[in-house]
Amino acid sequence: MTGSWKDNHALFLIVIGALAWLAPGGGHFALQEKKRGIIIFVLIALTFAVGLYVGSIGVVNPVSAKPWYVAQVMNSPAVFLLGSYMTAAHQRAEARNDLSLAYPVYGRAGEVGQIYTSIAGLLNLLCIVNAIYMAHIQVVGEEESPK
Amino acid sequence: MTAATAGMILGSFTTPMRIGTSPASMLWLLPLVAVIAVVYKATKVHKIRLKPFAKESAVLFGSIIVFIGVAALILYGLTWFVTGQLPALLDSSAF
Repeated sequence: MTGSWKDNHALFLIVIGALAWLAPGGGHFALQEKKRGIIIFVLIALTFAVGLYVGSIGVVNPVSAKPWYVAQVMNSPAVFLLGSYMTAAHQRAEARNDLSLAYPVYGRAGEVGQIYTSIAGLLNLLCIVNAIYMAHIQVVGEEESPK
Repeated sequence: MTAATAGMILGSFTTPMRIGTSPASMLWLLPLVAVIAVVYKATKVHKIRLKPFAKESAVLFGSIIVFIGVAALILYGLTWFVTGQLPALLDSSAF
């Protein structure tokens, strides 16, 4: 019985973590922490969008800016799609010898865009960990509360 | 919303903005610090109520800005010493 409880508990935490990664604030929303979820979603999505607007979609660059890309992927798995599109754009640009096809990013705008999108990802990582912790506390609280 | 408007909005994400390297470009720091403060506090407070939450976020925002300001001053002083004062000291040294 203890084993199956642990399995379910682990599965619950994994589902909450996955929801939190799928959409920022999704984990908190699933835990009935709606205000928290909305604040997290709006701010992280806005920060990521501002980063993309300032630096262009070229700031998501899995080819030559891998460390930044790792942080950006923490925003949502949807960043993988953008990353694969950018990889294809880089390959097209190399094949045709035309760098403009690869959405080049440079200067202060590139820095600001990269910092905004990556910080948004790292903040979402914090929120994923927090959602998993809150889920754990909820389950433990339910287990220990008198019936 | 027409397809042309949607296309224009999406197209604006494919070219970077023009941001100079003037000191004013450091103001891009402020919205980011505000987001960091609010999201961090959203994960920390026990219950979200507007006034205490806004107050705690504002205090964290101010603390981060003050800390960054102090770090900037120290780094500026260090640069001023290493690039402006140290060469003169080395030139007048007996060694």
